[in-house]
Amino acid sequence: MISLLFWLVVIPYCIGLIPTRLISEHKRNPGFTILAGYFVMWAIFELVAVPAVLLVQYHNFRTASGWFAALSILCAAAGAGSALVPHMRAAGRTGAEQARRGIWRREAMYVRKRVAGVPEALRAMPWAERIEWLLFLGLLGFQLYKAAAYASFDGDDAYYVVESLLAQQADVMYRILPYSGGPTKPDVRHALAVFPMWVAFIAARSGIHATIVSHLLLPFVLIPLTYLVYYEIGRQLFGRMETGGVFCRENLPIFMILMAMFQMFGNVSIYTNETFFLTRTWQGKSVAGSLVIPALFWIFLQIYEGGEPGNRVGAGVWMLFVCVNMAAGICSSIAVFLISMLTAVTAFCLAVVRRRLGILLKMGAACIPNVIYMAVYVVTAYSYLWR
Amino acid sequence: MWGIFLESVVIFQNYMGFHENGYLAGLYLFALLYLWLTEKDKGRRAVLVYAPTLLLVMFFCPLFRKVFVRLLEDSETYYRLLWLLQMSVVTAYGLIRLCGRHRRIGLAVICIAIVACGNYVYDSENITKAENAYHLPQVAIDIVDLIEPEEGRITVLVPADLIYFVRQYSTNIELPYGREMLIARWDYYHAMYEAMEEADMIEAASFTELAREYPCAYIVLKEDRQIDEPLTDYGYELCDRVGEYLIYRDTQTE
Repeated sequence: MISLLFWLVVIPYCIGLIPTRLISEHKRNPGFTILAGYFVMWAIFELVAVPAVLLVQYHNFRTASGWFAALSILCAAAGAGSALVPHMRAAGRTGAEQARRGIWRREAMYVRKRVAGVPEALRAMPWAERIEWLLFLGLLGFQLYKAAAYASFDGDDAYYVVESLLAQQADVMYRILPYSGGPTKPDVRHALAVFPMWVAFIAARSGIHATIVSHLLLPFVLIPLTYLVYYEIGRQLFGRMETGGVFCRENLPIFMILMAMFQMFGNVSIYTNETFFLTRTWQGKSVAGSLVIPALFWIFLQIYEGGEPGNRVGAGVWMLFVCVNMAAGICSSIAVFLISMLTAVTAFCLAVVRRRLGILLKMGAACIPNVIYMAVYVVTAYSYLWR
Repeated sequence: MWGIFLESVVIFQNYMGFHENGYLAGLYLFALLYLWLTEKDKGRRAVLVYAPTLLLVMFFCPLFRKVFVRLLEDSETYYRLLWLLQMSVVTAYGLIRLCGRHRRIGLAVICIAIVACGNYVYDSENITKAENAYHLPQVAIDIVDLIEPEEGRITVLVPADLIYFVRQYSTNIELPYGREMLIARWDYYHAMYEAMEEADMIEAASFTELAREYPCAYIVLKEDRQIDEPLTDYGYELCDRVGEYLIYRDTQTE
């Protein structure tokens, strides 16, 4: 349990402090931090796991896990450190001892202020809005209950979940046929999408069977994370402080209720991202459709608003953008192609409405990891031609 | 080109579940049209109106579909392009805007529309009460617990309905064939699968000979599976029974 909390909450949160420090102060919030932390963490995982899959033949899971654990802890330490640096600087003139006291006093005050602010904000909230938030939380709770108490059969689990389990039990990534168990070479289409290996990493560190992690535990992480992305999108769309207007914050819980309803009733076919979200939550392609693509919408809205006078896009948002692109790569190879297309189309539209070519260039630069990913894909897939 | 366009239309219809009276696409297109007419904010127009419309146009464009399929060497995943539209975000935003200040009535009406046009995901026949923390059929777990060796791996022949689950519980169990045989459109051939699943009646002599080629340490059969002679006549012993499954151990395989 402690290990799960460490790898699923503490590490992503601390890593997320790095991009959080790079955005303007009024935009910082714990939601941004944890989401950014997950995307940066998955980007790190891609950097470590893909070379291990392609280049290391024996015990490649152990190699990837070791490097990933070390890099994650380093980044988390850097994130936690970056949160303290401003205080250190401010207090640097008054001596080390005072500096230490100053840091902790200020951190304690910050936490106390945030905690004290919650009941105050709740008291200020109209009754109707409170009920709407309760309704949303009820729907979220219901989805989590269903995820835990009900099993969803999907044939693809015979591939993805078994790959995770093979990594945990046999210490290999993509070198054993998941369906039957014979030896094989990495199949490039699946081998570059290393999300099942991240699942295996969580399973190995927590000592819990990878199938239980996939089917039972991951929904408790991925479903709330997805709603956190929707919450951030909602804040962008309905974040104005005015009361009664269309874009007022009072519409935020309504937006969240509607999103939850769409997820529950979006099963009009087996293909929709809503169906994937609640029936195959733990699979990389579901994460791509339900978490990564909406996260891009959230980033696009931030980038546009950053173009408004006095509302600069922080380096943290661009860093997040790059990491979301990389996270798509661990989810699914096709997702890389899809989000590159989404970025190209949206960048084009934003450049036209803003009449600024710069947006197109910046967003293009953020997609460089996708280009590298696709190059690795092509080189690996067609390597037999020059052997 | 016209044929390719029609294929895209069919994919769209299947995706949106038109054949099962799922009309969420109608809500989406209505919200998109409403945003086209009323959204004044340029950035939101770009992200929530222009980009999805352009993507929708690309989806139906035959030339684009040809390039997509050629590049990815995969036509089965073309529908995932529709994930980029994020229909739920656009629809929710558009409909909330439409309701304006009538928030509560608007919420109720939109929820009713979603329920009426959508399909409840938990009604799916693939969702059942979980029998254990693995979310696998308990019978598959019980069988593996009985036959799994303390060390090393063994090959086991199991009926088609257990194939998906056995290796999700333990990778120490190997199978002569896997899920690839169960997907008809993949069109694989496997002699062992033919003998186990396709034959009306299992011919014990050739069947056991084939099974020993792997060699299968255990054979799991459904109790109602027809077989011309008992496996016990061919060096197998019935070692246990779990639910409707009979577990035979090959006494000649170490």
